[in-house]
Amino acid sequence: MEQSGSFLSFVVEHLNEFFTYTAFANITAGHIIMICIGLLFIYLAIAKEYEPLLLIPIGFGILIGNVAFVPGLQIGIYETGSVLNYLYFGVLQGIYPPLIFLGIGAMTDFSALISNPKLMLIGAAAQFGIFGAYAIALLLGFSPSEAGAIAIIGGADGPTAIFLSSKLAPELMGAIAISAYSYMALVPVIQPPIMRLLTSSRERVIRMKPPRSVSKTEKVLFPIIGMLLTTFIVPSGLPLLGMLFFGNLLKESGVTKRLADTAKGPMIDIVTILIGLTVGASTQATTFLTAKSVGIFALGAASFVIATTAGVLFVKFFNIFLKEGNKINPLIGNSGVSAVPDSARVSQFVGLEYDKTNHLLMHAMGPNVAGVIGSAVAAGIMLGFLA
Amino acid sequence: MAEIRKTISIAGAIIAMALVLTAGRSAAQSALDLRINEVLVYNDSNYVDSYGQRNGWIEIFNSAYNTVDIGGMYLTNDPANPTKYWIPKGDPLTKIAPRNYILFFADAVATRGIQHLNFTLQETDYLALYEGNGKTLIDALKLGPQKPDVSYGRLTDGGVEWGFLEKTTPGANNYTGVIITAGEKFGAMDPYGIGMTLIAMTVVFLALLLLYIVFKNTKKLYSIDVKKMFTRKEKVSEAQKASDEEITGEVNAAIALALHLYVSELHDHEEAVLTIKKVARTYSPWSSKIYGMRSLHR
Repeated sequence: MEQSGSFLSFVVEHLNEFFTYTAFANITAGHIIMICIGLLFIYLAIAKEYEPLLLIPIGFGILIGNVAFVPGLQIGIYETGSVLNYLYFGVLQGIYPPLIFLGIGAMTDFSALISNPKLMLIGAAAQFGIFGAYAIALLLGFSPSEAGAIAIIGGADGPTAIFLSSKLAPELMGAIAISAYSYMALVPVIQPPIMRLLTSSRERVIRMKPPRSVSKTEKVLFPIIGMLLTTFIVPSGLPLLGMLFFGNLLKESGVTKRLADTAKGPMIDIVTILIGLTVGASTQATTFLTAKSVGIFALGAASFVIATTAGVLFVKFFNIFLKEGNKINPLIGNSGVSAVPDSARVSQFVGLEYDKTNHLLMHAMGPNVAGVIGSAVAAGIMLGFLA
Repeated sequence: MAEIRKTISIAGAIIAMALVLTAGRSAAQSALDLRINEVLVYNDSNYVDSYGQRNGWIEIFNSAYNTVDIGGMYLTNDPANPTKYWIPKGDPLTKIAPRNYILFFADAVATRGIQHLNFTLQETDYLALYEGNGKTLIDALKLGPQKPDVSYGRLTDGGVEWGFLEKTTPGANNYTGVIITAGEKFGAMDPYGIGMTLIAMTVVFLALLLLYIVFKNTKKLYSIDVKKMFTRKEKVSEAQKASDEEITGEVNAAIALALHLYVSELHDHEEAVLTIKKVARTYSPWSSKIYGMRSLHR
């Protein structure tokens, strides 16, 4: 009788101990908030189709990262030796972003930019968003390195944001990545009001000269010259710019179709899964829910607004110097924000609202891809000065 | 011709600018990056080696950003004998991690291990590190009068300035003051981010402006007809001029569409022939289901 009593207490004791290991016993309000955010991301991706390729892995990663557990079991993303920690290594060491850039390069057609190279300058102007956010972040009390890492959100380039934050402020990387991808998904919401506000009805219907045809030689020369010129100026941007242009050469050379197909297909898909999931999982409530994260979200929004404003205003300014017939429609100014191809699509849709036959998509793709180059150059500069 | 010359001159200017911008010291990352970093000649009450002895020591710093193996190289205190002490190869101890250090004890007791040299530092005022061929000098040092328990070294690791160090730092950073990071320095000089904005936006614009200039002129460059340059200029008709003008994407698209329509939709021999066949019936076939359009012949 005594033996069965002690056995019962043994079972109860171990059940109690088991309960202490469950997420139910360890969950906090922070975990619940983060799980709700993860669910929201998944909802936005599935129901609204906002950047589903990114928001589904990130959203699910947030769920994974916020299942509460007792530390020490080597399961958390921040615990050395855990599987998630190994996968997160590619983020921490900045391995995944260049690989994604390789895929982007293999996907991107730079024809629009080559046929009308002056559109490159719009891509440069939109980078004001980065440095505007940098100045505001400094004013808010962030250190220069943190401010640099946060400001790159304005480049609207997830891999670049992850790459730079992993070097300058690894502890803020989760918040920065989530913020960057969230605002990239919200580009169709953020940009149109600014574009309408800053343009006149006459400017919105400017018809641009159709782009000329681009020869294969030009397309092949672009990644080679582009890589040499940009990385000679900013060598610290080499991992991103080198891979971007290399991927593009694989595509445009026409003789490495298999490599290009791998870069823009299976490889970028695998890396996107890994980067999305691990960045999502890095947002453990215990490390993510801080006042700094809130500040980062606010700065992210500001940087997108500044970048869009700068792009549109720059086109208006540029038009002063252009002859009639060569003028640029300022509605493509927003596409210097390098959320490819979302911001170019926004230009197209807003343009069609005012002239059903004025298709701006091809023109907007120029500044859009120039924005990718511009934000990688800006990241290189930040890295050079602040690392 | 003048346009081509202009294009070539622009390209030349760009290359020159690139060369100016990139002119600088290129650092090889090899054994040549090793540096004699710190030396203590008279060790009375300082660092104790693993044998519990106090002897003079030499700190070598790997200034490269990759691991360098010092094994197989030579340390000497005799200018006439560059191969005085051969550092054994193949030992994990000789692999110096990036920006890291290795210590050698100048106790003239080489039997104590690979880090113990076969000479002392008091013997001469010379110290040198030679590459494995025993000929290539990597680093050398002329020691002046030394103080007991005060080390003589580079004021910053791998730096050019030498002096007596405030603290002896065997196997550690020679600079023991507060280290300000590049970011902190930048922040102190530019608290509002104006400098960063100006510099960075200039560089971003410059990078994309260079691309713009290059690609504005690339087409002209590679479409130079060398033969034409050396033949006599002939009058070009207006029609020829018009045909030489750039063809836009829209024109190409229209041509492509027309070709597509022609190739895929206009056939000389159609695969099926639609015709009307007279049916010899007194009643109207239009009301009969069996003579419908989809009815097949049997």
